[in-house]
Amino acid sequence: MKAWLRFLPSIIGKAIISEAIKKYDIEFNILRAHITPRGGKMLAEISGPEERESIKFMEEQGIEVNPIIKVVKKDKDKCIDCGACISLCPVKAITMEKDWTVEIDDQICIGCGFCTKSCPTKSIILFE
Amino acid sequence: MKTINEINQKIKDGDAVVVTASEMTEIVAESGPKEAAREVDVVTTGTFGAMCSSGAFLNFGHSDPPIKMARTYLNGVELYSGLAAVDAYIGAAQPNKDPELGLDYGGAHVIEDLIKGKEIELVAEAYGTDCYPLKHVETLITLDKLNQAIMVNPRNCYQNYAVAVNSTDETLYTYMGTLLPNYGNVTYSSAGELSPLINDPYFQTIGFGTRVFLCGTEGYIVGEGTQHSTDVERKHGVPTTSAGTLMLKGDMKKMKPEFLKAATMPKYGPTLYVGVGIPIPILNEDIAASTGISDEDITCKVVDYGVPRRERPVVKETNYKELKSGKIEINGMEVPTSPLSSLKKAIIIAEELKRLIEKGEFLLTSPIYRLPSKGYTLRPLEIRKPSILVRELESKPVIVTHPDENIKDVARKLVENNINHIPVVDEKGVLQGIVTSWDIADAVAKGKTSLRDVMTRKVIIAREDEPVEVVARRIDKYDISGLPIVDSNNKVKGIITAEDISRLVGKKMDRGGESI
Repeated sequence: MKAWLRFLPSIIGKAIISEAIKKYDIEFNILRAHITPRGGKMLAEISGPEERESIKFMEEQGIEVNPIIKVVKKDKDKCIDCGACISLCPVKAITMEKDWTVEIDDQICIGCGFCTKSCPTKSIILFE
Repeated sequence: MKTINEINQKIKDGDAVVVTASEMTEIVAESGPKEAAREVDVVTTGTFGAMCSSGAFLNFGHSDPPIKMARTYLNGVELYSGLAAVDAYIGAAQPNKDPELGLDYGGAHVIEDLIKGKEIELVAEAYGTDCYPLKHVETLITLDKLNQAIMVNPRNCYQNYAVAVNSTDETLYTYMGTLLPNYGNVTYSSAGELSPLINDPYFQTIGFGTRVFLCGTEGYIVGEGTQHSTDVERKHGVPTTSAGTLMLKGDMKKMKPEFLKAATMPKYGPTLYVGVGIPIPILNEDIAASTGISDEDITCKVVDYGVPRRERPVVKETNYKELKSGKIEINGMEVPTSPLSSLKKAIIIAEELKRLIEKGEFLLTSPIYRLPSKGYTLRPLEIRKPSILVRELESKPVIVTHPDENIKDVARKLVENNINHIPVVDEKGVLQGIVTSWDIADAVAKGKTSLRDVMTRKVIIAREDEPVEVVARRIDKYDISGLPIVDSNNKVKGIITAEDISRLVGKKMDRGGESI
């Protein structure tokens, strides 16, 4: 699952994630992170058989875990399917279908926002 | 041999064979041009691309008392009002006068909103005359209320175009979209085998008076467009770079929003996506062969937009089949490609035009004259006083330092030489970093002693062969006050500061004064 993890300033010194990885053997992929001495947030993909247990553990340690359903959305009415976004995506989440429709794969998207900033018709919405 | 009249008769009888340019490519490949010419009557083309050079003449009607509009704004976008009293031309690329909206809502957006039927705020100012006493007017208009709204696009449907890439190590924002550093991506903006002028490369059927599909209604070609050029390198008859252009005209009141779209190229400006479809009558075998061209046979040049000069270096040649595959190879690397024009919409337009012709709702016209297909080359704008290159600047002997130098010694160098910037170089003179007097003051305040800890490693540089204006833009863009000048081996040759540039501007103005 993809989730925003929020860290309070009081816990940023603790190695909670690595402990969670050791304990529950999860795969933990950091997609985006912004951590400062005043706390921070991290977008991560967490997977594995003990995914739920690991999230419970992280929450007990003080990390606020907010699962996200959607990262990005294409406004079909505004999008003209030009494709200016395609080559800018660092994880190849945007593809051109056979009929030249631009598709964004929400599962692959890491929400970097590069496409939204570069869309000539402002058709890509990023959920924060 | 067929004539346009014969084809029109077939259209009226419902007997015309109409295919899109993509379908024609297959037909010609399978049966050859001779058979294709016998079989097919009309080939429809289509494109839906960003065409900055678009706009419309608007007539607002007279107010009471009347006004001779001298400055006219629609939703904060200025129009050109140097026409008669209540006529103005709105250009698609005009930004908003409100800096908050700026590039996000420009002329193209007003045009789209008008076509969508939205109410638009009109503000006009005047100097006042005996017959036009009113000096200011503020009201709301809609497209319906205008007497005329005639789209006249001075340059549309470029015949082929450059493909863009960026060799520098900074992201560039261009009219070809966002270009990632170090050849990170490639953008292109032609519909390839569907593109109108590529299917009739010598304008055998296209000319003044040709009826076209323009933004959902019928429009007309009113001649060659601006920057029309013909005498360029060709392969398979098709120009390998931007060549012919069209000036188009159509009634905005009949246009449909799905066939045009306002857009903003990030940090570049507003532009209008214009949907155009042109029917090509297959009068003979020769024309059948031209319309049979495939993406693979349309060559184009990958151009480095990292060099902001008129002649940009060509990185390599490619074709639309490769570009449409989603990646091309540059310097041994696979680079992802992005189209900027909508191929999906181009197909929809070619199909729509095909449908209209098949239904007998769109007849072909014989042009009054054909567009020129030779004798047109582009003249550059010669600047009387050419740009000064960085290497031509009077440069003081450059003071440099080394990464291991003590902060105190660096401070002394700055003070003794009365300078603010000092490039850090290795033993061969190759640039390693830069420090400013501010960096040194900051280091002293924090008790740091090693230059390595305080120097900026990612240095913004000036190259010897760059015009000073390009460097001035870089100083402005990165909000810095000076940059080292380096040669092609990254060896430091000098330093250029904001003061040097302002001194140069001052000198230029002095000289300007004398020449009057």
